[in-house]
Amino acid sequence: MTSIPTPRPVAAAPRRSPGQVLRRLWDSYSFRVLIQSLVTIWAVTTFTFVLIRLMPGNPIQIRIDQLMNRGLTFEEAEQQAANLFDFDPDAPILEQYVDYIGKLARGDLGNSILGGGTPVNSIILEFLPWTLFSVGLGLLLSFLLGTLLGVIIAYRRGGFLDNFITTVSSILYGIPDYVIALLLILVVGVQLQWFQVGQMRGAYNPAIEPGFTLEFIASIFQHAILPVGTYILSTTGSWVLAMKSSTLSTLGEDFITVAKARGLSETRILSAYVGRNALLPLVTRLAISIGFVVSGSVIVEEFFQYPGLGRRLLRAITERDYTTMQGIFLVISISVVAANALSDLLLGWLDPRVRVGKGRGR
Amino acid sequence: MSISPEIVLSVRNLSVSYLAKRGRVRAVNNVSFDLRKGETLALIGESGCGKSTLNLALIRQLPITGSIDSGQILYTRPDGQTVDVVSMRKEALRQFLWADCAMVFQGALNSLNPVLRVRDLVYDTAKAHRLNKAEARRRAFELFQKVRLDPARVFNAYPHELSGGMRQRVLLALALLLRPQIVIMDEPTTAVDILTQRSILDVIEQLKAEFGFSVIFISHDLAVAAEIADTVATMYAGEIIEIGPVDEVFYRSRHAYSLALLNAAPRLSTGQEELLSIPGSPPDLIEPPTGCKFHPRCAFAVEVCKTTPPPLIMPEPGHRVACHETDRVMAHNNRKITT
Repeated sequence: MTSIPTPRPVAAAPRRSPGQVLRRLWDSYSFRVLIQSLVTIWAVTTFTFVLIRLMPGNPIQIRIDQLMNRGLTFEEAEQQAANLFDFDPDAPILEQYVDYIGKLARGDLGNSILGGGTPVNSIILEFLPWTLFSVGLGLLLSFLLGTLLGVIIAYRRGGFLDNFITTVSSILYGIPDYVIALLLILVVGVQLQWFQVGQMRGAYNPAIEPGFTLEFIASIFQHAILPVGTYILSTTGSWVLAMKSSTLSTLGEDFITVAKARGLSETRILSAYVGRNALLPLVTRLAISIGFVVSGSVIVEEFFQYPGLGRRLLRAITERDYTTMQGIFLVISISVVAANALSDLLLGWLDPRVRVGKGRGR
Repeated sequence: MSISPEIVLSVRNLSVSYLAKRGRVRAVNNVSFDLRKGETLALIGESGCGKSTLNLALIRQLPITGSIDSGQILYTRPDGQTVDVVSMRKEALRQFLWADCAMVFQGALNSLNPVLRVRDLVYDTAKAHRLNKAEARRRAFELFQKVRLDPARVFNAYPHELSGGMRQRVLLALALLLRPQIVIMDEPTTAVDILTQRSILDVIEQLKAEFGFSVIFISHDLAVAAEIADTVATMYAGEIIEIGPVDEVFYRSRHAYSLALLNAAPRLSTGQEELLSIPGSPPDLIEPPTGCKFHPRCAFAVEVCKTTPPPLIMPEPGHRVACHETDRVMAHNNRKITT
């Protein structure tokens, strides 16, 4: 049973036909992930475009209702409403779609069909950073805290710390985030009076000049701490539980016993043998969570009056602001798809078994 | 603690138990044996007889519920110094592992970390035992060659890119990286096909001849054990019930269980012979049977077997057995061979 030395593949000919170039490109894992992502984004965009227009009530009718509630007659209201829109919701849907995709290809998301036509791009630019900041920070902290605690209690399974943290995690995992938000408002806002919840609107204190000053940054964190705290409290539990079970199953693997029998240091076993393998299933979960950063924040942002994209989306929906809705949904789908692509690439980097295609290894 | 310089490992009255909900499971009970330089000792027995537990205890890698209750594992270093593995502290144990006593586990498929390349496994092992990288690489290449692998290819491969037989050979090479005196092999050939098994056994023989290490070989494949072993120890219910030179145990079994085990295995040479299974199932180790633990399943059992545990006697030099009815078993044995 001698292994026959396999002849090394002869180096490819220097000149390749365009077909070969495409073939090689397609074989590249990253390239395929990219193409799949673009197709998915296009499909989701089209779907939401149609779905939004299937919603009952078009923006003009909603506006007419609002104006009539203020005491105007139907005719007056209709007149005023028509003047507000530079957009015809009654145009054929295909025409609207072609117009939308055409602009989209140029990076133009159109103007908000309400409120004097602010470009949707600038609306997103105004609100997105706060959501990314608050939810991103919450996700990062809860992931780090959760996986760390998960590994610790997996190593001390059955002990007091394990029972305590597992119980607390399960409870927190079971409480919906809006309940946690309400409890936070009640406890630290109303009972303990640590925060003036009623006055804390927006992302920072408007009396402070925005700039790279300590005071301004402190104000940003002061306003973000309650939403971020809510995200941490509501999601850390699931990371703890996921990491614990993943670590436990990794610890039971033969290669851990072999690593110990090889006399490796405990830190090396923890990092390269237990940690890296236990994290693999969590990478996918993390990607899914990153994808829902934007959309997962709607209720919490509304509670804390935090000027993020989730709260802006809620407003756009109630106003039937088609273009803004489309814009925000596009951001959401891009973030979900991008996060998935990221997780595919990250998993491919962390787990050699996922690296498909012809190239072996990195 | 003076033992013969020939002996590298001397296990004395070792007992291991697991803590279960119902009570203590005596998985290894009062086991003693010696392993000489260059000797191959095969441990045979049914599943659950304590073979694997014994081996994990030898390298102190028992699962968290298991513990060594009593006994000594005396290891003699190449410089002649004898140490007790049971009382070793953490760091001393870590250095003892793999450098002095390596282990080839069963199921090579899961024994290699899937996210690391073979070279990282080599370098990790080397680093843990202060072997420099260049030397580790040189030795690994040499060993891969010896186990009939293509070193350049295997060294940079990930485990999933190798076949089962290749992985088993990688493990074998890895086990010899630090030139240990003892290599424990826990069914190294069960997960591979018969041809690969053949080639792995050949490789083991060859490496043994070259490096002169001792082997503790666990197997429930008696044919494999017969081929590779110098000494055979039969385990039943956590005890070594018969130990002796391979020909003695296999052809002149003095314990009813060894005989039953051999009669339950097919032999190529005798063809049409009927296979006799052992009735019943392995005993409960929390409340083991009184007397000889094998008596409820034993065809030779007499009254005394139910009450008195048989002592380990030595009917001839080097062959020890714990059975009340050795003579009758022996007679049966002989008759079988002659008919």
